[in-house]
Amino acid sequence: MTSSKYPVLAAAVTAALALGACGSSGGGDSAAAEDVPGVTDTTVTVGTHQPLTGPAASGYSSISPATKAYFDYVNDNGGVHGRTIEYSVKDDGYNPANTQSVVRELVLQDEVFAILGGLGTPPHSSVLDFLNDNEVPDLFVASGSPTWNQPEEYPYTYGFMQDYDTESKVLATYVQEEFPDATYCLFGQDDDFGADFKTGLEAALGSDGLASSQVYSTANTDVAAQISAMQAAGCEVNFLASINGFSAQAIGTAAKLGYFPKWAASSAGGDYNTLSSYLGENTDKLLEGFISANYLPAYSDEADEWTAKFKEINEEYNPGAPFDGNTIFGMSLGYLFVEALHEAGEDPTRESLLEALESGSVKGNGHVPLGFSADSHAGYTGGMITLVSGGVQSYTGTPYAVDGDSVSAYTEERAAMPENGIPQ
Amino acid sequence: MDRFLFLTVDGLARGAVLAAFALSLVIIWRAARIVNFAQGAMAVTTTYVAFTVTSATGSYWMGLASAVAAGLLLGAVVERTVMRFVGNTSPLNSVIAGLGLLLVIQAILGMIFGNGYRAMATPFSTSPISIGGISAVSPYDLFIFACIAVIVGGLALLFTKTSLGLRLRAAAFAPDLARLLGVRSSRMLTLGWALSSAVGALAALLIIPTELGLNPHAVDTVFVYAFTVAVVGGLDSAGGAVAGGLAVGVVLSWVSGYLGATLAPIAVLVLLLAVLLLRPAGLFSMTKERTV
Repeated sequence: MTSSKYPVLAAAVTAALALGACGSSGGGDSAAAEDVPGVTDTTVTVGTHQPLTGPAASGYSSISPATKAYFDYVNDNGGVHGRTIEYSVKDDGYNPANTQSVVRELVLQDEVFAILGGLGTPPHSSVLDFLNDNEVPDLFVASGSPTWNQPEEYPYTYGFMQDYDTESKVLATYVQEEFPDATYCLFGQDDDFGADFKTGLEAALGSDGLASSQVYSTANTDVAAQISAMQAAGCEVNFLASINGFSAQAIGTAAKLGYFPKWAASSAGGDYNTLSSYLGENTDKLLEGFISANYLPAYSDEADEWTAKFKEINEEYNPGAPFDGNTIFGMSLGYLFVEALHEAGEDPTRESLLEALESGSVKGNGHVPLGFSADSHAGYTGGMITLVSGGVQSYTGTPYAVDGDSVSAYTEERAAMPENGIPQ
Repeated sequence: MDRFLFLTVDGLARGAVLAAFALSLVIIWRAARIVNFAQGAMAVTTTYVAFTVTSATGSYWMGLASAVAAGLLLGAVVERTVMRFVGNTSPLNSVIAGLGLLLVIQAILGMIFGNGYRAMATPFSTSPISIGGISAVSPYDLFIFACIAVIVGGLALLFTKTSLGLRLRAAAFAPDLARLLGVRSSRMLTLGWALSSAVGALAALLIIPTELGLNPHAVDTVFVYAFTVAVVGGLDSAGGAVAGGLAVGVVLSWVSGYLGATLAPIAVLVLLLAVLLLRPAGLFSMTKERTV
C-alpha cells in the first residue's frame, strides 16, 4: 500500500494547528465557600497565571518573581495585619487553554483569596467570565486592554496598566507639542492592541491625523513591506503599537533601509533594556531620542525613593535577577495589592477588599492617579513621557492625566512612599 | 513598479532562508521517511553553540563551523538514542516523538540560556545595496544565496556522484534489500540524520539574525513556513525545496505588501492546502510516489 503521503498530511495538520492558536470562552459556576477562601489566621493565599515558558516568556517571565520578592520582603517584616502572603504562580505559557485549567485549579482546588496580575489579553480573557461567575477578586490584570474596566459586567475585575487608548493619547499630545508639523504614522499589531491604539491616536490627532497606518502580524517577522511603505509615505514620526520584539524589528528594518524617523512607542514595546537585547550593539545609535510613556517609577532613576527601595529588595529577595522595568512592574503590582489588603481591614474578606479599592483610598506608586471608583475599574489613568538619551531612558516633563478625550497636565505630587515601602 | 521589485527581492531573500531550512527536512525525509518536528529545536540548539563559540572567540566563522559540527553530532545522537526506538507501525509515532523532543529541547534550552532574546551579529552588512535606484538585496542576502547554492550543489554531488550517496539512497528506499547487498542500512540512517541536522544548523544560523534574535523558540514559525516550503516543493526534491522556498518567500512578501501582513501566514496555509489537494507529492516532485 502507499502509505507515504499520510505522514505528510498528518504533519500538515499539526503545522496548521501550530499557526492557529485556539481558545474558548470560560464558563462554569460553583457555590462560594462559607469562610473567606484563601485567608487563615496567619496567611493570605493569592494566585496568578504567567507565561513562565513558551514564546511570551522572554518578555514577561521575570515579572512574577519580582512580585514574589516584594511579598517575601513584606512577610519578613511582619506581613499584613499579621498575615503572610502566599503567592502561587502558575505557568500557562500564554496559552488560553492552559490559563483556563490553571486558574480553575487555583480557584476550585487551592481556593485562593484572589487572582493577582494575570498576564496577557488573550489568556486572561479566557478566564474573565469564570472568575466573575465565581465572585473571585480579579485584580490588576497585566494587560493594557480596556476590557478589564467594565464594572457593570465584570464587577470583580480591576485593571492596572494605563490602557492603550490612554497611552496613545498621551503620546499623541506630546508629539504634537514637540513636532507640530511632522507627518505622523502608525505601525501596529493586527489585533485589539493596534486597533485601540489607532482609535486613540485618531481621537487626539484628528481622523486624518495619520498619513499611513501599517499593520504587522506576529506570525511574520519580516516587516520590510510595512516599513518601506511608511518610508514612501514620508512618515516622520512613527507611533509603535507593537510588542518589544516587533518594535526592535521595525526600528532595525528601517535602519537597514537608511530610514531614520522618530519613534513613539507604547510602553508594551518601549522598554529600553528589552529593546537593546534585540538590537545588540547598535542600540544606542538606533534608540537615541526614542519616545515612550510610562507611569511607574523609572528603574534608571535611583534618586526615586521607590526605585531605590525596590532595587534593595530585588538584591536581597530576588538575587541574580536583573533590575529593570519588569522588576518595577512586578513589585509595584505587589505593593498595590498589599496596600489594598491593608485597607481591607484586620479580617479581610473578598467584599472588604473590593470596597477598599472602590473607595479610592488605595493610591499605588504611579506618577498618575488610579481610576478606581464605584463606576470605574481602570488602572492608571494617564502617563508620563520617557526619552532615551545617551543610552538611558528617563522621564521628561510632567505627567499627563487622561479623562475621556481630554488630556491635561497632572500636577499633583505622587503619594510619598510609606516607611520601608510597606503600607502602615 | 519600484515597490513590486522591492517586495519581490525582499521575498526572494526571505525565501532563500526558508529554502535552506526546508532542505534539512527534505534530507531527513529522503533518508528516513520522517518529518522531523524537532528539527527547529535541534537547529536552535546548535545556534546556541555557535553563539557561545562566537562570543568566546570573537569569530563568526568559528561559530559557524562549530554549529555545523554540533549539528552532525546532535542528529546522530537523536537518531541513535530516540528515533531508533520509535515504532514505525504508524507514521504518527515519529511525529509525536518529534513533537515530544521539541518540547524537551526547548525547555532545556530555556533552563540553560534563559528565555530572553539575544541579538546575533552577521558577518556581512544587512543594509541593502542600491542597484539601479532599487535597494533591496543586502550583502548578507547574497551570502545566504551563496550558502544555499553550496548546500544544494554539495547534496546533489553527494547523492548522485558518490558511492556513499548511492548507499544512502539504497538504505532509504529499501533498507532490507540494501542490507542483503552489504549496505549497513542502520549506519546510513544515522548518517542521514546527521547530515540533515547539520544543514538545519546552518539554516538556523543564517535565519536567526534576520528574525527577532536567538531564543529557544526562535525557529518556531520558520519551521512552519519551511515545512510548507518542503511540501510545496515536494518532500523528495532538493531542487523543489529551493524553488518552493523562493515561491513561498515571494508570496509572503507580496501578500504582506499588497493585502496586509495578517493575510500573509494564511496565504501560505492556503498554498499548502492547494498543493496537498492538487498535487500531494509536491509541485517539483519528479518521481512517482514510492511504495515502501
